[in-house]
Amino acid sequence: MAKVLEGPGMGLMKKWGIHVPNYVVVTSVDELTKLGQANDWMKTSKLVAKAHEALGSRFKLGLVKVGLDLNGAIAATKEMIGRQVGSITVSQVIVSEMVPHKEEYYCAVKSTREGSEILVANCGGIEVESNWDRVKRLCLEVGQAPSAGQLEKLLKDAGFTGPLAKKMGDFAGKMFTCFDSEDAQYLEVNPVVTRESDGELVALDAVTLLDGDAKFRHPDWNFQFAAEFGRSYSKDEVEVMAVDSKIKGSVKFIEIPGGDTAMLPAGGGASVYYSDAVVARGGKLANYAEYSGDPPDWAVEVLTEKVCSLPGIKNIIVGGAIANFTDVKKTFGGIINGFRKAKGDGKLKGVKIWVRRGGPREKEGLDAMRALKDEGFDINVFDRNTPLTDIVDKALQK
Amino acid sequence: MSILANKDTRVVIQGGAAGVNAARRMAEFCYLIKRPLTVEAFVYPPDAGKTNEVPYGSGLIAIPIYKTIAEATKNHPAINTSLVYIGADRAMKGGMEALDDPNIKVVSMITEGVPEKDAKLLGAHARKLGKVFNGPSSIGIISAGACRLGVIGGAFDNLVLSKLYREGSFGVITKSGGLSNEIIWICSQFADGITTAIGIGGDAYPGTDYVSYLEMFENDPQTKAVVIVGEMGGDLEERAAEWYGAKKRRVKLIGVVSGFCQESLPKGMKFGHAGAKEGMKGEGSARSKSDALKKSGAIVPATFGALGPAIKEAYQELLKSGQVKEPVEPAVLPRLPKSVEEAMKADEVMVAPLIRTTISDDRGDEPCYVGYPASELINKGYEIPHVIGLLWDKRLISKQDAEIIKRIMMLSADHGPCVSGAYGTILAACAGIGLSQSVAAGLIMIGPRFGGAVTDAGRFFKYAVDNKMSVDEFLTYMKMNHGPVPGIGHRVKSLRNPDKRVKELVGYVKSLNIKTPCLDFALAVEQVTAVKKDNLILNVDGTMAAVLVDIGFPVDSLNGFFILSRTIGLIGHWVDQKRQDSRLIRLFDYLVNYAAPKRREVPPLK
Repeated sequence: MAKVLEGPGMGLMKKWGIHVPNYVVVTSVDELTKLGQANDWMKTSKLVAKAHEALGSRFKLGLVKVGLDLNGAIAATKEMIGRQVGSITVSQVIVSEMVPHKEEYYCAVKSTREGSEILVANCGGIEVESNWDRVKRLCLEVGQAPSAGQLEKLLKDAGFTGPLAKKMGDFAGKMFTCFDSEDAQYLEVNPVVTRESDGELVALDAVTLLDGDAKFRHPDWNFQFAAEFGRSYSKDEVEVMAVDSKIKGSVKFIEIPGGDTAMLPAGGGASVYYSDAVVARGGKLANYAEYSGDPPDWAVEVLTEKVCSLPGIKNIIVGGAIANFTDVKKTFGGIINGFRKAKGDGKLKGVKIWVRRGGPREKEGLDAMRALKDEGFDINVFDRNTPLTDIVDKALQK
Repeated sequence: MSILANKDTRVVIQGGAAGVNAARRMAEFCYLIKRPLTVEAFVYPPDAGKTNEVPYGSGLIAIPIYKTIAEATKNHPAINTSLVYIGADRAMKGGMEALDDPNIKVVSMITEGVPEKDAKLLGAHARKLGKVFNGPSSIGIISAGACRLGVIGGAFDNLVLSKLYREGSFGVITKSGGLSNEIIWICSQFADGITTAIGIGGDAYPGTDYVSYLEMFENDPQTKAVVIVGEMGGDLEERAAEWYGAKKRRVKLIGVVSGFCQESLPKGMKFGHAGAKEGMKGEGSARSKSDALKKSGAIVPATFGALGPAIKEAYQELLKSGQVKEPVEPAVLPRLPKSVEEAMKADEVMVAPLIRTTISDDRGDEPCYVGYPASELINKGYEIPHVIGLLWDKRLISKQDAEIIKRIMMLSADHGPCVSGAYGTILAACAGIGLSQSVAAGLIMIGPRFGGAVTDAGRFFKYAVDNKMSVDEFLTYMKMNHGPVPGIGHRVKSLRNPDKRVKELVGYVKSLNIKTPCLDFALAVEQVTAVKKDNLILNVDGTMAAVLVDIGFPVDSLNGFFILSRTIGLIGHWVDQKRQDSRLIRLFDYLVNYAAPKRREVPPLK
């Protein structure tokens, strides 16, 4: 799943005929000043300025300012750009027009196992969150678009009547078209409002999640996907992602600050069981990592270096199930090179390494790991006869 | 018995290299259970009409490649299953093609990164047709003792260790490929092994879910218990729990779920498979799944590590109730033939080498010339003549000898466009022939009359010196036994028009004050022959030959100095012609003496 920021998200909605407020995304005060001279709406409407970053709780952080005139928006932008929040530096601000309205509604389309689901409610904003039972759903099979009749019934169920029901039906229909055509996994507009000036329904705030795997058929997705966990990616994370995008198989790396147990396991399934075992034993994860699909040894070496560079680690868990086709000797070769480099750089002092693995050329791979003992590594190596996560128990034994 | 894959399964593989690799793994399994190869065809348009070679035992089986599924099933009507190894952007089209073929009942997709919508469309299409669509991102399906689809099960040794050569009593369903193998191994160590193991793929919406497969296992009398390995995200495990709890089931259900670590991670942080995403309001969390399974009556060990003992306990109960009997292991299992390399490593065979080398070895990280690593030679200041010394005479020559060789090469690198070698190369270049062939056309000219006299000149001068012959004795010997002296005589140069190259080389070598018996002898020979006829001078071939013999090079290598040096010139001529974009040339009629019979009538054929 790939999260898309408001700007590009609203761009996609606009493309499919959904009304959105006028907006601009700027990276400097100069840019906003020039845009203010060029666009009448910026001079005549009240404006909202928001930090355009993957940040939660922007309101609390003072990164959303409402009811501004152009000068106010310029001042707010000046204040926000360059502000440091955790690991994120605010580099973009989205300035949009405020849309005067009275009523608020809710509309979303989400992916389900069978296909998709259209959700509507005749309340919106914070109200819908506390009145979730007012949300009505229309389930659709994959490949099926909602008929006029189905939408009519959905809107009726949700308590919409008269011309508004017709308008909201159109709106939901367009949301579905956007969802389906853009390979979205989740689209949410909260609130949908009636614009007082022309009576049209407008999407005021949008959450857009797209299917990153479908990027190949959307050449117009010219935006970056945002990190999904409320911070930007670190330098090491970005480096591992760059390696991942180049290779057969995969390597993954996410840092968890403050942990002391470093993870270097194989496989998307086993890696989570290893993480569970650490947490169950009362350990603190320093990262998530995973390599799979028989990646080249140099890629595993890069991953290993990053894992060894995590601050304050006491144990490294080099776990893995019995591989189907990942060559244990080759991938362990990459890990061993990474360990040697880290040791040469003065890292791994007092760090214990725990290994468990099976699969093609397991004997050669495990023997090579064992031989690291002679080079002064504090390493403990186990084969398939030791259950998967037992090395975590041994590592975290008090 | 087993589900999905059985003894009647016959397979077409859609895709290229990854598919061929899977076929090899499948052939290893077929060999282990002593059954014919299940893969009957490939569909891969770029190679249609060719075959893929799949090792089976110590032999190779040629499997035909077709352009379409329809062609494959028409030629191989027993095919009922397709494995899809096509790239994510074309996977849906390939999967649909397979599902739409009336002969194919099961399609398993290995491709990773397939868009969610495509996976759903494939799943829905299969359900409509009453077929099975497994995956995407599936590691494969394996039925012990019967059939393997894909690389699931791992290497041959692991197939044996996990007792996949015969049926057990446990069904396995996992999302993770690596863990499927782990569970198969656990079932073989803590119980009697598996019936069928299915990798359903780690995506958010697998084409076929736990419930459909649980239903199949429930209807397979050989399967007594099913192990499912779940993960956070989605609701597949909840649905499985719902199915299990709905009524009394014949099979035992054992399940573990991963993702408890989520509870203590920073909010929003997610990892693992694509499908491992927690929904809103805690639904799809590891805890809710685990609780749902427990509530349904399934056996849910607290940790992955406790899975083995839980499986063991379930197996002991099955044994006690008489539902299963201890399996009988076969006395002898086929062993996968080793490759020659593996067998040699294990000291099991000795192979008589086909060729022998005494000069060069590149099996390490860089080539070694007579044992010396090339990089070390470079870094210690050695040059091309030293490499020649090593590869042609297996010795590190002195700096001074290297200088002589360098000068010889510089002097003989080219001799204009008119000589046989250069002309041959130019003629070929003008005909549009490529570099290596054009240079070869020039090199072919080197022989007894052009450039190829170095070796012979060296041989005879050396013979004379070794046998302490006088110049007269030598000339008589040559006249009696061999004819003109190689290295003596030139087409255009003469005493009055001396060859500057010879003068230069002789002058340099003489200035070094080294012993040059051959050169001295050759010069003495010239003194006599040039008097007889003024172009019978010591030519550049003869001079090179004498000097090279004097600095110790073996006679057989001497022509090599001319060939090597002149190659520099020949390459130059080719590049020169190419850059000028020279046109095809042919001889003018006036350059030919037409001495053939005049035109005449052809007699009737007898």
